[in-house]
Amino acid sequence: MAEFEPVLSRNWNVPDSHTLKVYESRGGYQSARKALTTLDPDKVVQIVKDSELRGRGGAGFPCGMKWSFLPKDRKETFMCINADESEPSTFNNRILMERDPHQLIEGIMLGCFATKASTAYLYVRFEYINAYRILERAIAEAKAAGLLGKNILGSGFDLEIYVHRGAGAYICGEETGLIESLEGKRGWPRIKPPFPAIEGAFRKPTVVNNVETLCCVPHILERGADWFKSIGTPKSYGPKLYCISGHVNKQVCVELPLGITARELIDVHGGGVWKGRKAKAVVPGGISMGILSGNELDTKLDFEDIRKPGCLGLGTAAVTVMDDQTSMVDYLYNTARFFAHESCGQCTPCREGCAWIYKTMKRIKGGGGRIVDLDVMLQLANNMGIMPGTTICGLADGAAWPIKNAMAKFRPEFEEYIKTHQSGPKQITELQEAIFQGKTPAISGPSLPVLNAK
Amino acid sequence: MASIIINGQELALPEGEKLNAIQAAKRHGIEIPYYCWHPALSVVANCRMCEIEVGSKDPKTGEIKMIPKLVPGCQTPAKDGTVIVTDSPKVKEHQRLIMELLLANHPLDCPVCDQAGECGLQDYSYEYGQANHRFVEERTIKPKKDVSDLIQLNQDRCIMCTRCVRFTREITQTGELQVRQRGHHAEIDVFFDEPVDNPLAGNVVDICPVGALLDKDFLHTQRVWFLAKHDSICTRCSTGCNISAEENKGQLWRFKPRANPLVNDFWICDEGRYSYIHANDQHLLSSAYLKSGGNHTAVGVDAALKSVSQTLSLVASDGGKTIAILSPFLTVEEAYLFASYIKGLNSENVVALGPVPVEGEDKTIKPDMVNGRSGDTSFIVPRPFTIHAEKCPNRKGVSAVLEHFEGEVIDFAAAVARVESGEFAAVYLASDSIDPWDDEPIAKKLRAGAKHLFVQDVNVTPIAHIADVVIAGATFAEKAGCYVNADGRLQYSEAALPPRDGSLPDLDIFAILLGRMPAPVSSRDVLKELASVIPAFAVAASGKLPEFGVLIGDAETPAAAVGAGFQDAWTQHRGAQL
Repeated sequence: MAEFEPVLSRNWNVPDSHTLKVYESRGGYQSARKALTTLDPDKVVQIVKDSELRGRGGAGFPCGMKWSFLPKDRKETFMCINADESEPSTFNNRILMERDPHQLIEGIMLGCFATKASTAYLYVRFEYINAYRILERAIAEAKAAGLLGKNILGSGFDLEIYVHRGAGAYICGEETGLIESLEGKRGWPRIKPPFPAIEGAFRKPTVVNNVETLCCVPHILERGADWFKSIGTPKSYGPKLYCISGHVNKQVCVELPLGITARELIDVHGGGVWKGRKAKAVVPGGISMGILSGNELDTKLDFEDIRKPGCLGLGTAAVTVMDDQTSMVDYLYNTARFFAHESCGQCTPCREGCAWIYKTMKRIKGGGGRIVDLDVMLQLANNMGIMPGTTICGLADGAAWPIKNAMAKFRPEFEEYIKTHQSGPKQITELQEAIFQGKTPAISGPSLPVLNAK
Repeated sequence: MASIIINGQELALPEGEKLNAIQAAKRHGIEIPYYCWHPALSVVANCRMCEIEVGSKDPKTGEIKMIPKLVPGCQTPAKDGTVIVTDSPKVKEHQRLIMELLLANHPLDCPVCDQAGECGLQDYSYEYGQANHRFVEERTIKPKKDVSDLIQLNQDRCIMCTRCVRFTREITQTGELQVRQRGHHAEIDVFFDEPVDNPLAGNVVDICPVGALLDKDFLHTQRVWFLAKHDSICTRCSTGCNISAEENKGQLWRFKPRANPLVNDFWICDEGRYSYIHANDQHLLSSAYLKSGGNHTAVGVDAALKSVSQTLSLVASDGGKTIAILSPFLTVEEAYLFASYIKGLNSENVVALGPVPVEGEDKTIKPDMVNGRSGDTSFIVPRPFTIHAEKCPNRKGVSAVLEHFEGEVIDFAAAVARVESGEFAAVYLASDSIDPWDDEPIAKKLRAGAKHLFVQDVNVTPIAHIADVVIAGATFAEKAGCYVNADGRLQYSEAALPPRDGSLPDLDIFAILLGRMPAPVSSRDVLKELASVIPAFAVAASGKLPEFGVLIGDAETPAAAVGAGFQDAWTQHRGAQL
């Protein structure tokens, strides 16, 4: 395979890549100029549709199709850009925003032009204060250069981009949760239908796209849909930013064509597992997507192949590597804690189920586990998220999938842990015995009685 | 004809109504359990109890295609050809899990919980839950708090259906209640120093499917299965809200709203809700009195009525005139019998309308499709709720009777003026008002203008102190009969309590005066009789009214209200019955 030339990340290592000057000198805003002055919005939608660009936010929904769901007779459309990147170990959107904000702005321009939206809300995760400042500066710069505002480039197309900072909730990365939060309400996902394309932000047709998806759009328009489809594997075209973290020598974000295997990613781009150890398990795309065991590393990380070993999907393509000395109990405990903390509390199965699983994991980890707990957890996970349609959004699926995968692939380890990690039998202390006998405890000294004193 | 297929059975769908799967199934007696859904609130589908299997039937080929996942029934429109399955193993298994999850952090303190007996959790865990409990972890414990002076929130019993939150946002649009915290720590709360304070606040207790929101007025007073419920009408204002008057041990304990899509939807106002207390008042008139030598002496009702009857007959035979003043608290039947009696003595006698209490202005709460709503609103028909300034239940009904007998409605001021002019030899005032009618100057005018003054009331009022005969009538809870509300809707109200000692229901009093006793008199028979006599009431000719009442005379028909009466399954009555 020929050396892959970076597309989305091509400006990352250029000095001052966040300025308009540098971006334009490297061919920036050319496809926006081309599209706004020569193309029809429907034509832009058609090109994106032809390129079969799939959403990079996690679900992999075709972007062009999402745009074409908007009602034809709409009066006002809103574009929401989902930069609430909260999936653990994912950081590609942050780098995209910090290193190349104008690429994103150009993508937003094209997306809004195609969907006839003249207002875009950029929902940035609260913690991304740097990205927020850089984006604010870049938007001001673009506005001063006439690339945003009224009648852009004489095309009669208006666009305002507002950057909105979230308040630190994972659930606000779900598209309808994001819309609710943007409207100033509690970030509780809405039921669908109505889909955001029909009734979204402020009850108007709304498109919600991920940062990386929109960053692909200028390149598709510049080089054509066929070029885009020449990268990647069937049904998963184009470049993708993979984040590698965990027990590897190099924790990086690399851009590669979709369909790279986990093994290549770790060994070539991540510099191998650290300390010369072997990979025991790999989280393929953010913790909600499940887990690959060490002997499934030849799985291709694209939208389709990843499902074969039982994972939920590609997710955000944030690969976390665990070496062979990592306890899977710790992994599952951390995962369960994350979802119990981030469940919004709306749907019963997720609200109660995530907390239940977390409490059970906590007990197992603390040395009070029972083998039957594993079955209860698995059954809960099956009914909570793996059976479709049990909750409004996908958070419960995300919480359930790691349990299903861990139980299928590492169950003996859990059983072993439970058997070997039992706190000793509870011994009755002198104090307890005395209370039981109805006597005054025969413990001298002025301070409080010492429990477990022998 | 449109049809829906439920569990393999093809069933008819009602025309012209937009129903969801829960409602459509309920029409055919099939229950889909739910908690968070309420017909007046937007659909949020967060309890996930109503999940069913949904599919559609191809109208041409007849082929049934099922959606490969569970879908909330509250969100599924019942359309022609919709296929729903409510009893498959998959659905049952899901319901069992939801019940287990809802009870995971529930304190299971039914023995001390006021909701026990009308609780969604109790009913559904019996029907859809499982007996064993696998949750061995420590429960998440949340505090108990007060959300207003009248409402207590037991947060540990809450199942986070958010009905109450949506009610304050969407119906009253005051938005006092909200959710705070996330995940299993999520809880309902109010803002600091901003208690739930709106005219409909008490309804949040009614719509709570579990024992989380409780009425402090009713707290720990009665077990609900001891309460006998009576389908009654609120008499606090002229809206005529349908209520269930709940009684045990000879006193009322609470009012609960009954759904009437043509009057009050699902709500009652707090003013009406707590007006039940007047029927329990220990200081109501408890005997008839005759005035002799400047003092009142308690006598039996028969003696008092005999005195009234003899005096009025004497007045009539002497050619004197009597004026009867009918308060708007009397039922239509009472008004009819009273007017018949007075007019029967002497056709020159006059019947007039009593004082109509008015307080402030009409307050209308107008929910709409947009304000405060964020879920699916496609099944909602928003209806305004009005609290009328006219604080009596039956001005229209009494007026219609008076118009028949008198040709016009003589209002109270005119009646007082005529009494003052000395036109009448006797004044007979029947009041029964909830609040004591304490206008002493007018009472003195009435006293001065006529030789005889008879008062029939429930309260001890200034005019009772100066009347010749005082008769103890029935409170709103003790009388059965029909009222005509502000829209002209004739509705029947059951009696909830037996007559107090020393009193008689007004209908019986008038029947005795008319000489109809000892044959028992029933409001149904009287209604039938008056319907044949007074054309305005012709619609009630059968003596029986439709479930949601009927418009009388030429009252304008309102826009067709959609959706029949609705009641949450767990509030349906299973307790004591009279």
